Amino acid sequence: MSKEITHWLDDLLAEIEGIVVRRKSSRRVRVDVPADALPALLELLQGRAGYIHLSAISCVDWIKEDEFELVYHVWSYESHSLVSAHIRIAREPGVYLSVYDLYQPAAFFERDIHEMYGIHFEGSPNMEKFILTEWDGPPPMRKEFDSEAYINEHLSWQNYNPEWLQELVAEGGGVIIPPEEQRFSQKKK
Amino acid sequence: MGSIKQIPVVEAKRTNPLARVFDDLVRFCRSRSLFILHYCTGCGAIELPPAMTSRFDMERLGIQPMVSPRQADILLITGYVSIKTLKRVILTYEQMGSPKYVIGICSCTVNGGMYWQSYATAKKLDEYMPVDLYIAGCMPRPEAVIAGLQQLMDKIHSGEASSWEDYYRNYDYYLGNQQKLFGEDWQTPTDVISEAKHYDLLSEGTLGDHTRLLEQHQKPLEALEMRLGHEQEEPAK
Repeated sequence: MSKEITHWLDDLLAEIEGIVVRRKSSRRVRVDVPADALPALLELLQGRAGYIHLSAISCVDWIKEDEFELVYHVWSYESHSLVSAHIRIAREPGVYLSVYDLYQPAAFFERDIHEMYGIHFEGSPNMEKFILTEWDGPPPMRKEFDSEAYINEHLSWQNYNPEWLQELVAEGGGVIIPPEEQRFSQKKK
Repeated sequence: MGSIKQIPVVEAKRTNPLARVFDDLVRFCRSRSLFILHYCTGCGAIELPPAMTSRFDMERLGIQPMVSPRQADILLITGYVSIKTLKRVILTYEQMGSPKYVIGICSCTVNGGMYWQSYATAKKLDEYMPVDLYIAGCMPRPEAVIAGLQQLMDKIHSGEASSWEDYYRNYDYYLGNQQKLFGEDWQTPTDVISEAKHYDLLSEGTLGDHTRLLEQHQKPLEALEMRLGHEQEEPAK
């Protein structure tokens, strides 16, 4: 039965213009669509193929290509399969449509993405702060946000002082790992 | 004969020969009955249930968890403190009655640990509150936690664990670091300066530029509204 549904799904997806369907496995499909075709795709998937569960919206910042990638993961309880719909939107102004009217849980995902990446979703019920309620800096997950520069400016830093550990080592405890072995990037090849 | 005023006044000394013995006894008793505040940040808290329960059994040392900060002696910081959490940790710390002790568990409290590059976590805990003892490791096993607690008990008994006095003596320094991180209008409901006077610990470092800044921004605290039942007041028309 699940095979039938899979074939039927492929036929259904072919109805949308500019779509690229890549079947990753029997239960996982990757779909790339133009940004303006996504609401139609989700409506088809939800209304005619039983993909009623929006499990996540993820966001990727492709700073070199000046684009954001949004990935909508929808799950079907009938065919036990996941469709990931990928779209690309321009980084500036970073505005997209909300899918709240199709999937209500989208409100939380969109609020989270708005907070972390600064993308504005038109029609989303609430674009207030979600987790970073006491944060007034730029959206921290954007690639141009330099986390290391931020902490150097705002927070002080102390080394894991080896002298401080000597006491422990004298007692037979503690492990001192030199920095070139702690960080993978500094390891000798 | 000179008047009575000419007789030099010798400052009252503790004449009780047993005072030192009593002090020692008090410190001994204090170190044998410690309550840990049940406030866990970060991931190191996962090592506390085994340390508390039957395998390692913290209670044989006289250490127990306690639910309210007013009755607790030890504040355990078990792992990274995000900046949001740090505000709550400081509020909690100030609510605890003196003498109080702070233990930083895990490497995150020393320098941020694996979150060294994160914008959201504070790196050095001892900038914001005085820390008595660090238990390093990521994360320390219950044996290490127990060993650390025993060390704290020894320090309390010998009178070395006096970092809570440091918070009153150098309040300006700690407040300055807090203001740098949380903004200039940062204030807590506890009046630390009055407490410092109460404990007779007011010193040069207690007052300074940062406490002056606090006075400028300080808003008077309002009493919480008390209501009985679930009735809601109707808005005035």
